[in-house]
Amino acid sequence: MKGSLDAILQDAGVWRGLDPALTARTPRCPSGWARLDAVLAGGGWPLGTLIELLLPAHGLGELRLLVPALRRLAVATPGETPRWLVWVSPPHEPYPPALAQSGLHPAGMLRIDAPQAADRLWAVEQVLRSGSAAVVLCWLDAVDDRWLRRLKLAAEGQSVLLVALRPSARRGTHSPAALRIEFVPAAQGLDLVLLKERGRAPTRIRDVFGE
Amino acid sequence: MAVRPRLRRLVAPQRYQPQTLDLFAPAPSSPVGLQTQRPPSTEPRSRLQPAQLWLALRFPTLPLLAVPDPDGIQAVVEGVAGRQSVLSVTPAAQQLGVQVGLARAAAEIRVPQLIVYERRTDLEQHALRARARAAFAFTPFVSIEAPDTLLLEIQGSLQLFGGLETLLARAQQALSTALMPVLYAVAPTVRAALWLARGRAGSCVTSVAELPSLLARLPLAVTGFDATVQATCERLGVTTLGELMRLPRDGVARRLSPEVPQRLDEALGRVSQPRRRHVLPERFMDSVDLPADGVSTAALQPWCERLLATQERFLVQRDSAVAQCRFRFKHRAGHPPSLLVLERSWPSGRAGEWQLLLAERLARFVLPAAVIAISLRSGPVLPAVPLDEGLVGGGREGRAAAARLLDRLRARLGDDAVHGVCLVPEHRPESAFRRVRPTLPAATLNDETWPGAPRPLWLMTQPEALRSRGDAPWYGGPLKLLSGPERIESGWWSGQSVARDYYVVRAASGARLWIYRERGADTDNGWFLHGVFA
Repeated sequence: MKGSLDAILQDAGVWRGLDPALTARTPRCPSGWARLDAVLAGGGWPLGTLIELLLPAHGLGELRLLVPALRRLAVATPGETPRWLVWVSPPHEPYPPALAQSGLHPAGMLRIDAPQAADRLWAVEQVLRSGSAAVVLCWLDAVDDRWLRRLKLAAEGQSVLLVALRPSARRGTHSPAALRIEFVPAAQGLDLVLLKERGRAPTRIRDVFGE
Repeated sequence: MAVRPRLRRLVAPQRYQPQTLDLFAPAPSSPVGLQTQRPPSTEPRSRLQPAQLWLALRFPTLPLLAVPDPDGIQAVVEGVAGRQSVLSVTPAAQQLGVQVGLARAAAEIRVPQLIVYERRTDLEQHALRARARAAFAFTPFVSIEAPDTLLLEIQGSLQLFGGLETLLARAQQALSTALMPVLYAVAPTVRAALWLARGRAGSCVTSVAELPSLLARLPLAVTGFDATVQATCERLGVTTLGELMRLPRDGVARRLSPEVPQRLDEALGRVSQPRRRHVLPERFMDSVDLPADGVSTAALQPWCERLLATQERFLVQRDSAVAQCRFRFKHRAGHPPSLLVLERSWPSGRAGEWQLLLAERLARFVLPAAVIAISLRSGPVLPAVPLDEGLVGGGREGRAAAARLLDRLRARLGDDAVHGVCLVPEHRPESAFRRVRPTLPAATLNDETWPGAPRPLWLMTQPEALRSRGDAPWYGGPLKLLSGPERIESGWWSGQSVARDYYVVRAASGARLWIYRERGADTDNGWFLHGVFA
């Protein structure tokens, strides 16, 4: 009886709720923000899967939220091939002097501009399949969730931070993302709502940048 | 023959000289200095293994390139209008009796259905250069001898190819086609090889000692001496090289041309004849005329791929690679040619790798009109460097994958859609960075920082004008000042002068903004949003 249950539980299709063994399997990268890390399973951003950030507007602190993780991932470990930090169709210019001030060197950046959504998704998939990116940030809007699934599959098995940034209006649509976070500007700083994380009910993190 | 006695009189006093090849030994009384340049080392060398062995490859039917249908009854003519003569004929025309050298009018009367074309020397040169490229497979020294011959120095290649026979067979196989057969001759001197290829194709001479007897039988026409010299010889009754060699040297030099004994010395190996080495061009260039108008890009693809395959062979011979290929599609008159430029982030010579890129780009390429010809011109030829040049670590596959990714992205999205960035030490915010061609991810990053006040992570591509209420800027609500002003005044020397006061403010939404106000008398002192501390 015990053996057959184990066999079933080995199946990746079986949902097991908050299981430390399961969360330990996906590599993580600390987000660098104590309040967020405290809530995220495994204590950081999951790598090799799709993370979705839902924003009511650009410029609410989405880059500030990601910068500590980018800084960690952009540095290649010795003996490892250096990899890019890829920006796919950002809405504004990720300002190199500001990135340098945040400890991100512009030489590691690769920027791809694709006005067509189909090209954008294709580009992200190509980047993921090449295995030459440590971080992929892509700005998307209305997207077929089959495409998102494709991107998630392409990222699987790699230590890549794949983040799709989409308008809050897409909150209601189905998404295969492993982690979905909505940005909610508050009177005091920025609140994050974890809409979806494996085995967790929606949680709200107040003033994520606070001490 | 009224002239003959007169000439005999001229020549007669010197006929007492021994009638041997030594006639061409330098005469001390020679009025022309050219003949006296006989190198002293020639004789001993000729008895040993020759230092050089020349293979002349001649393509006698090269002018047939001007003929559109090699199976038809067609001929190529050369000469000024009215005095044109047949230069080359197709096999079908030859069967009907059209011969090389016939006057155009005579040929057209003899065979009324004959279609005559003007010679196309440009096509011939192009084809000869292509064959010279192929000939580099046999020797590093190839010289192009206009109009239809290649010279290869093969002494050094004999051992590699396992002897002369094999080398000749291989060269013939590689260079000759049914329509363009190759005639060859091997000789220890350049001149002899060239003459033998014209007069006695198939001759193989490896020692200088055999040359005189063999060359003596050649008709004078092989020498290509100019028309007046040949006409004079004819009047003298000299029709073969042997007869010419028997004439007194200084008389020949004086009466015919000082060039004549010089050429004979060269042929017999008495003076050396330096050849200019054909240097492979620094770029690959080739073109193809389409048999039918290419109306779709799909129809062009196989032809482009063929050009890429030719390029690959060219590059393999040089152990080289290219990072750029430029296709030019020629349209019918009235349309300028269209250009398709393929670029790779890492040079490659492999046709297969270029074909992937070509397929991507060609699928999106819009043809303004039907294409009649395609030419391919490579970028500068670069040494082929494998992608495993990285420092420590197994970076090879990673770098190759990154290079392929860049190529694929650029092929589909365009060169401008993919780029890297670099910092520029510059006070004007919008000039403090530059877009650059993407490079492979760097192994080591120097910790370059940006001094001064904090900068926003988002910079607006174009500063966004803000409304103002009274004197204060407004962005969805009143703005709360956090810090500022930071005065930036710069660029007056470049015509893009800026004079601004920057402030960091908090908007009603909670976002921190980077805004500025224009300073100066001639502006409206408006407020602009330039960045967001995202």
